[in-house]
Amino acid sequence: MKKDIKKKLKDFWYGKPHKERRLGDLYIDKTGLYKHREWRGVKDTFYYFHMIWLYNYANLVVDVMKNGGLFVFAKGVWRYRWVGQTYITVMHWFDRGHEGMRGEALRATAWHYRAMTNETIRQFMRMFRADTKLNKGKQNEIYKKTMSHDETVCGAIFYPWRDKIDNVALQMIPYFVTCHVNCQTVLNYIDAVQSIGLPADPCPMCQAEAGIYVLDDYPDYSPAFVASNEACDGSVGTGILQDWFMNKPYFSMPQPMQFDDPLVHKHTMAEIEEAWKFIEEHMGIPFDWDQYVKYTEKFNKLTEFEWEKWDVAANTPYYPINGVAQALYRIYYSQDGYRDIWAQTDEKVRKIMHRCVENKIETFPETRHRLLAWSCAPLYYSFWTTWAYNCWGLNTVMNMDSLMFDMVLRTDTYENALDDLARYHEWAPMRRMAVGGYKHVFELWEYMKRFNCDMVMMYDQLACKGMQGIHGMFEDEFRERNIHAIWMPHALPESRTVSRAEIRRIINDYMFTVMQEEPLDPSLLDFDDSLSW
Amino acid sequence: MRDLKHLIYFDNLLQEANNELVRQAKEDGKIIAGYTCYHMPEVLLDLPGCVGVRLRAPLCTSPDIATYYMSGRTCHYGRSLLERALEGGYNFLDVQFATETCTVTTRFQEHLQMMDVIDNPVFFCEFTDVPFKKTANSIDHYKRQLEGHVLKPLSEKFGIDTSDKALLAAIEEHNEVCRLVTEIGDYRKLENPTITGYEFSIIMLVTLVCPKYLILPKLRETAKEMKTRKPDAKPNFRCKVLLAGSENDDPDFIKLIESCGALVVADRFCYGSIPGREEIEIKEGESPIEAIARHYLETGHCPRFMGQNEMRERKKYLADVAKEYNADGIIVESNKFCEYWSYERTIDSIVLPRDFGYPVCSIEKEYINTASGQLRTRFQAFVESIEIKHIQEGK
Repeated sequence: MKKDIKKKLKDFWYGKPHKERRLGDLYIDKTGLYKHREWRGVKDTFYYFHMIWLYNYANLVVDVMKNGGLFVFAKGVWRYRWVGQTYITVMHWFDRGHEGMRGEALRATAWHYRAMTNETIRQFMRMFRADTKLNKGKQNEIYKKTMSHDETVCGAIFYPWRDKIDNVALQMIPYFVTCHVNCQTVLNYIDAVQSIGLPADPCPMCQAEAGIYVLDDYPDYSPAFVASNEACDGSVGTGILQDWFMNKPYFSMPQPMQFDDPLVHKHTMAEIEEAWKFIEEHMGIPFDWDQYVKYTEKFNKLTEFEWEKWDVAANTPYYPINGVAQALYRIYYSQDGYRDIWAQTDEKVRKIMHRCVENKIETFPETRHRLLAWSCAPLYYSFWTTWAYNCWGLNTVMNMDSLMFDMVLRTDTYENALDDLARYHEWAPMRRMAVGGYKHVFELWEYMKRFNCDMVMMYDQLACKGMQGIHGMFEDEFRERNIHAIWMPHALPESRTVSRAEIRRIINDYMFTVMQEEPLDPSLLDFDDSLSW
Repeated sequence: MRDLKHLIYFDNLLQEANNELVRQAKEDGKIIAGYTCYHMPEVLLDLPGCVGVRLRAPLCTSPDIATYYMSGRTCHYGRSLLERALEGGYNFLDVQFATETCTVTTRFQEHLQMMDVIDNPVFFCEFTDVPFKKTANSIDHYKRQLEGHVLKPLSEKFGIDTSDKALLAAIEEHNEVCRLVTEIGDYRKLENPTITGYEFSIIMLVTLVCPKYLILPKLRETAKEMKTRKPDAKPNFRCKVLLAGSENDDPDFIKLIESCGALVVADRFCYGSIPGREEIEIKEGESPIEAIARHYLETGHCPRFMGQNEMRERKKYLADVAKEYNADGIIVESNKFCEYWSYERTIDSIVLPRDFGYPVCSIEKEYINTASGQLRTRFQAFVESIEIKHIQEGK
C-alpha cells in the first residue's frame, strides 16, 4: 500500500514511465481527439499547457494581428477553404506531434513547431493582403511588391530584392502545410482535378496543387510567377494547368536532371540569371547584389547550426528534436530562405541542445532502433515518427529531405555565388535524391553510416514514378547489405489511399514478425483515427 | 486498295527489335546505338559507321521481372523495355544513348547502367540532358550536351567520324528519309486518302527501328508505288481523325481505331511523324551540330516543354495539324502512368473543343493493348458523335 502511494506520487510528479503510459487509451474512437490530456508530470504538463498550448494559441492571434489584422484574416478564411479548415486544427497538430514527449526534447521540438506556424501565418497574411480576389479586383501596392513562385523555387532566388519586395511560394501554404495540419483538406482538390478528366495515377501532390486551381482557391497576389519543374513529370504537367488558370507572366526555371554534369550546371546558372532578369523586368526593381550577400550570409548561419544539430544527432543520444520537427522545420526553412524567425528559433534550440550535451541528457531514452527515413514522406502522417517512438522505440534520427541542401553558399564573388546558388537549386526537394539519378538515391548507405542508423523507414510513395521505377534495386540492395527496411506505402497528401491505421499495421507487422519485438506501449498498436484531422 | 508491295516485309521487321536489317548492319560492322526518345537526335546515331535503333518491345504483354524492379505503378512501355532487355532482346546494342526526358524511361536506362543486363562487353549507356525550353540558352546547352555525350563517345570509343563533313552526310541521308516519309504521309491529306493510318504507321516505324541505308531502297520504291495507288471507289471510313498523345509504337492500336470507322490521317505522338519527319535545315552561319540542336528543340512538341509560349502553342499546333490533314476530330491518348500526357490530355480535351471546335476523344491505354473491347466501344461512340455532328451541320 505504502509502495503504491509512493509510486502514484512519483508518477504524478514525474509522469508515468514510458511502458506504463498507455497513450492509446486517451483517444476518443475514430476522431484522434483526446478524452483528456496526457499527464507528463508536474513540470512538463505545466510547461506544455503554458509554453506550448496557451503560448501558441495566443500567438495564433498575435501573429495575425501583426501581419494585417483580423479583418484581412476573416476575409481570407471566408474565401479560402484551406485556411478555414486548418487554422482551428493547428493545436491538434501540435498535440499529435508532441505525444509522450518530455523534458528538453519537448521544449526544443515545440520551438520548431512555433517557428513553422509563425512563418505560415506571415505568408498567408501576405497573400491575403495582396490578393485581388479579396480586394475587389484591385492590384494594390502590396500586390505590386510580391512575387509568387512554385514551392520548390528556393527563397534565395529572391534575396536580391528582399528589402523591396517579398516572395511567397504559391503552393506552400494552400497545399503543403495544410495537409500536414488537416489530412482531410486537400482531398477535395484532388477530386476536383480528377473531375475535369485527370486520371488518378499521377502524383497526388501535383493533383492537389492543380485541383486548387480548378476550384479557384488560390489567392491572386502577384504580377508574375516563377515556376520550376518541381523535379518531376507530374509537376511539369501541373504547370500546364497552372499557366492556363493563372494567365500571367510565367517564367519557367527548371531544375535540371543530370545535374552532376558540369555542362548542365552552367546551364542552370544561365537559367537563374534569366530568372533574375524576368524578376527585374516585371517588378521594375534592379538586382541588388548587397541584399543577396546579406541574406545569404544570414542563411549560412542557419546551415552551420544545422550541421551542428546533425553532429549531435549522429554521434550522441542527446539530440532533442523529434523526427517530425527535424523533417518539417528543415525542409521549410531551407526552401523558404532566411527569415528572422528561423534564426530566433535556432538560438533557443541551440541553448537546449547544448544543455542536453553538457548534462548528457538522453532525450529519447527508450530508443531501440535508430531509423533513417528515406524518400518522400506521407504528408498526412508526418507525425508517425512520434507514434513509432512511443509504440516501438523506433527513433527517426534523420530523413532524406533534411539532407538535400548540404552546403554553404559562397558570397565572395558574383561568379561563386551564382555557382553555389545553382547547385542549391539543383538540390531541391525530390530532385537530388528521389528523381535525380540513382547514384544520389543510393546515398542512403552513406547516410546510414554517418548517422549510426540500424534501420531504414523506406517511404513508398505509390504514385512517385521516380521512386517506384527503382523499387526493385532497393530490395536487392537491402537484402545484399542485410539492412532492416520497412516499406511504408502512402500517397503523399492522399490519406484515402493508405490510411494512417494501415501504415501503423505495416510497421507493427514488421516489428512483430521480422524483428520479433514487443511494443513499448501496446495501447498504441491499433486504434481508429480515420475521422481525425 | 491494292496492298503495298513491301508492307508485309515492313511489318515483319517490326516483330522484334533485333530485326533482319539490324542484324545485317551488325554484320556490316556498324555500331548499333539504341535510344528511346525523339530528343536523342537519330541523325547523330546514323553517322557513317553507326546505326540508330529506337527501342521497342513488340509483343511484350507481361513484363513480370521488370515489374519487380520498377513496380506495377510505372508506365508499361518503360517496364516492357526493361523486360525485353532482361530477356536478352537488346544484346545487339553497342551503346544506349539515353535522355532524361521522362522519368520511367530514365529509370529503364539507369537499370542498363546499374545492372549487367546487356550481354556485350563494349556496351555502355550515356545520358544527355535535354532542356525544358526552346530559348537560345537552351539550344546552346543542348548543342553542348550532344557534343559531349553523343559525338564525343562515338568518336572516342568507336572511332566514328564526327566531323562536320560526316554530319552533313548523315543529315543528307536523314533528310531523304524525311522527304520520302512526308511524301507518303501527304497522301493522308487527300479527300479520299490512298494510304491508311495503319499502313503509314508501319512505314514510319521501320524508318525508326531499321538502319536507314538498308531501308531507303524499299522506301523509295514505296513512294513511287504510292504515286499510282488508287483509292477504293467507295471510302471505307466514316470520319478522319488525328491521333495525338504519348508513346505509341503499336500499329495494331491504329488498326483498332480504323476498324471502328475512323481513318487516322495524322500521327502526333511519340514515334509518330508529326513532328519527326521534318527535314533538318542548316541556316546560314550555323554549324551542322548547331542546326541539329536547334531543329530538335524547335520541332519538339512534347508536353515536357514548360516555357509559357510552348505550353500554349501546343494546342494551336494540334488544331493546325488537324486542319491541314482534314481531320474531323482528335483522339488524344496517353499511356497509363504517363504523367506528362495525363495532364496534356486533360487540358487538350477541354481547350480543343472549346477554342478550336474539334471534338476530342480522350483515352488512356496500355503499351500493348489488351483492353481492345473497351477501347473499341469508345472509338465507335466517338465516330458516331462526329457523324451526328456532321448531320447537325448539314454536311
